Amino acid sequence: MIEVESLTKLYDKFPAVSDLSFAVRPCEVMGLVGPNGAGKTTTLRCLSGIIPATRGTVRIAGEDLTTNPVATKRQLAFFSDEPRLFDYLTVQQHLAFTARIYQVSDYQEIGRCLLEELEMADKIELLPGELSRGMKQKLAIACGLLHSPKAIFFDEPLTGLDPLGIRRMKDSILKRAREGAAIIISSHLLHLLEEVCSHVLILKNGRKVVDGTMGEILQKFSEQSGGANLEEVFFRATGEAKEAK
Amino acid sequence: MIGALVYLQVQSIKNRLRVRLRRLKKPKYLVGAVVGVAYFYFFFFRNLFTGRRGAAAGVIDTTPPEALLMFELLGALALFAMVLSAWIFPHERAALAFTEAEIAFLFPAPVTRRTLIHFKLVRSQIAILFTTLLLTLITRRFGGGGTAWIRAVGWWLILSTLNLHTLAASFARTRLLERGVSNWRRRVVVLSALSVVLAAAVLWVRRTIPAPETSDFASLDTIKYYIRHALESGPAFYVLYPFRLVVRPYLAADAHAFLLTFGPVLALMLLHYWWVVRSDVAFEEASVELSRKLAERIAAIRAGGDWHSTAGKQKKKRPPFALRPAGIPAVAFLWKNLISAGQAFTLRTWLFLALLAICIGVPMGSSQLTPGWLPPTIGIVSAILAGYSLLLGPAILRQDLRQDLVNADVLKMYPLRGWQVVLGELLAPTAILTGAQWCLLLLAVTMFSRIPEGDAVPLANRLSFGAGAAIIAPMLNLVSLVIPNASVLLFPSWVQIGRERAGGIEVIGQRLIFMLGSVLVFAFALLPAAVLFGLVFFLSRLFLGMIAALPLSAAVAAAVLAAEAGLAIWWMGRLFERFDLSAESVS
Repeated sequence: MIEVESLTKLYDKFPAVSDLSFAVRPCEVMGLVGPNGAGKTTTLRCLSGIIPATRGTVRIAGEDLTTNPVATKRQLAFFSDEPRLFDYLTVQQHLAFTARIYQVSDYQEIGRCLLEELEMADKIELLPGELSRGMKQKLAIACGLLHSPKAIFFDEPLTGLDPLGIRRMKDSILKRAREGAAIIISSHLLHLLEEVCSHVLILKNGRKVVDGTMGEILQKFSEQSGGANLEEVFFRATGEAKEAK
Repeated sequence: MIGALVYLQVQSIKNRLRVRLRRLKKPKYLVGAVVGVAYFYFFFFRNLFTGRRGAAAGVIDTTPPEALLMFELLGALALFAMVLSAWIFPHERAALAFTEAEIAFLFPAPVTRRTLIHFKLVRSQIAILFTTLLLTLITRRFGGGGTAWIRAVGWWLILSTLNLHTLAASFARTRLLERGVSNWRRRVVVLSALSVVLAAAVLWVRRTIPAPETSDFASLDTIKYYIRHALESGPAFYVLYPFRLVVRPYLAADAHAFLLTFGPVLALMLLHYWWVVRSDVAFEEASVELSRKLAERIAAIRAGGDWHSTAGKQKKKRPPFALRPAGIPAVAFLWKNLISAGQAFTLRTWLFLALLAICIGVPMGSSQLTPGWLPPTIGIVSAILAGYSLLLGPAILRQDLRQDLVNADVLKMYPLRGWQVVLGELLAPTAILTGAQWCLLLLAVTMFSRIPEGDAVPLANRLSFGAGAAIIAPMLNLVSLVIPNASVLLFPSWVQIGRERAGGIEVIGQRLIFMLGSVLVFAFALLPAAVLFGLVFFLSRLFLGMIAALPLSAAVAAAVLAAEAGLAIWWMGRLFERFDLSAESVS
C-alpha cells in the first residue's frame, strides 16, 4: 500500500510537486503521466526516499518514510530509466551485495529464479560493461526485486528494451501486481499504461489534474466528447489537445 | 568550407569560456579562481612578467657551450626515441580523433578529406599552444631560464613538428597496411634498421676512442665526454642531425641565435605539413571507431567508472572474501569497494606480503654479510613511506563516497542508516592503507636492527615501536579518510566526485583550498590524541618502562581517534541522510 498525502517538493522556490495526494493499494498498478517537467520523476524519487520531500507524508506498507526511513525502504524498490550499476561487480556479485544490504538470506534461490525469469541465467559472470542496455535494465530489476518489495516504482521501464523485452517487462509488472505489490509506473508510452495500469494519475506543473481508475477516467472523458483513449485523455487533461491537433 | 570549421572551433572556445566565466558568479568558483590565479601568478608568472629569472636565472644563457651541446644531444636523442616509437608500437590504422558530434556533422557533409585534416591540424594547435604555455612556465620555473618568447616558440616548434610527424607516420603505416605490409613486417624492418645504426655507432665509438675503464665512471666529466663523442660524431651524428635542428631554437641564447636556427626547423615543419596533407589515406572508418571508444570512455567516467576501461574491456575481479547475505551491512561496502580497488587486495595477498617482508627483513637485518648501512636505510625508508602513505593514501585511494556518490540515487534507497553507509564506504581504503602500512612496518622493524654505522637496536625496542605504530595506524587512516569524505557531503560541488576530472583554474584553486583545509583539520583532529599519547607515554614510561609505554600510549591515542572517528561518522551519516541530491550538483 502506497499512501501519499500533501506531498510537496520545492527546488529553491520553484514547486516541482505541489500538494499531491493519492493512494495505491496492493495489486494495483498506477500510471503516472504528464508532460515533460510535470514532476513525475521528482515524485517517484521522493516516494523512494532518494530526495527528501519539502512537505507531506509518504507511507509504504504502513511505515512512514520520514520518521522510519529504514523500515520503509525495506518495503520498496525504485527502477530509474537509466540503470545504475557498479561497473566492477558481476551480475552475481550485484545480487550478493544487494542481498547483504537487504539481508536476504535465501537470495541465491530467489536470484536464480529472477535471473531465469529475466532470461539472464547464463550471464551471472558478466560485468555491466559486457551487457546490453536492456540486460543492464534487467539486472537492475533483478537486484530491486530480490527482497520482494511491497511497493515498486518504475520510471520509464521500457527504455532500451526490444519488443520481446517489452512484452516480458509488462508480464513481469503484472505478475508482481498479482502477487500483491502496489506499483507506480511513470511513462510517456500511454498505450503501455493503458494495457498495464488499473489506475491513472495525470500531473501537470507538479499538480494532480486527473486521478482515478482507468475505466472511470476513460468513461468520464468519453462522456464529455465521444470515445476516448488514454492519449486523448492525456491531451485534454493537460490542455495540449490543440497543440496535438 | 574551412571558414565553417574555424567558426565551429572559435564558437566552441568562446562558449566554453563563457560558461567558465558565468560560473564565477558562484562564490565557490570565484574563491577557487582567485586562489588558482594567485597560485599561478606567484608560482609561475611573476618571474615571467618582472623579467626576474628565478633562482636558476639564465641557466641556458650562462650555460657553457659544452653543456648546451649536451642538452641539444640529449634532447635530440629523446625526440629520436619518440619518433621511432611512432613507427614501432602502434598497430592500428590512422585515426583522427573527432568527437561523435563532429563525425555526425562533418563526415556526411560535402567536405574533402584534406579539409578534415586541416581542421584536425588547426584543432591540435590549440592543445599544442596550451602545452607550450604550460611547458614554458614549468621549465622557466624550474631553472629553464632564457628569454620567455624564445623558450615558448622553441617548445611550439618541437611539439608541432612532433605532432605532424606522428600524424604523417600514422598515414604512412596505414598506407603500408593497404599495400600488404603487416605491422610485424614493418616493425622488423624498422628494428633491423635501428640495429644497423646502433651497431655502426658502437663500432665507430670503439674504433675512435679507447674503451672506458671502471675508474673512468667515477668522474661525471668522463661520462659526459663519452656520451658527447658517441652522439656527435660518426653515424649517430647523421641520424640525430634533423632532431638536433628541431631542438636548437629552444636552446638559442638570444634573438639572433634563434633566427639562425629557426629557418631549418620551419623547413622541416613545412616538409612534414606537405607530407600530411598529400597523404591520401582513408582514416574515416578508424576515426569513427576511435570516437566511439572515446565517447564510451567519457560515459564510463561520468558514470563513476574507470577512465581507462571501455565497455567490455573491464576485467572481472576476484572478490576479497565470500560475502554472506546475513551480517553487518557495512561489510558489503567493504567487499564491494575492495573488488573495485582490484584483485590485489585480498587477505591472501596481504599475508604473502607480510611473509615476504619477514623473509627478506629478518635475514637481511640480522646478517653480518650485508653492508652495514643497507638494512637500517631500508628500515628508515619503509617507516617514512608508511608515514607518507598516511598523507598521500587518502588522495590516491578513493574507493569510498568520493567514488560512489555518483550512484547516490542507489545509496539513498538502501534501507540503512546514514552512518552505516558512511562507515561501509570508509572501510575499504582504511583496510588497504592499514595493510600496506603494516607490511612496511614489518619491514622497518626487521630491517632496523642497528643504527647506521652504529649500535645494534634491541628487538624489544623495535617490536615496541612496531606494535605502537601498528595499533594507531588504522585509526589514523580512518580519521584522515573521514576528512575528504565529509568534504564530499558538505561541499559536493567543490570536490571531485567519481573519476571525472574537472578542469579550469578555479578547480585548481578549489583543490588548493581543500588541501590546506584538510591538513589543518587533520592536525586539529590529532591534537587531543597527541596530548593524551604524550601524557600516557610519560607516565607509563616511568612505571612500566619504555617497551610497554609505546604500545600502551598508542592504544590510548587510538581509542581517542576511534571516538573522534565514530562521532564524525555519526555526524556524516546525518549529513548523508539529509543530503538532497536535487539541491546539489553532484557530478
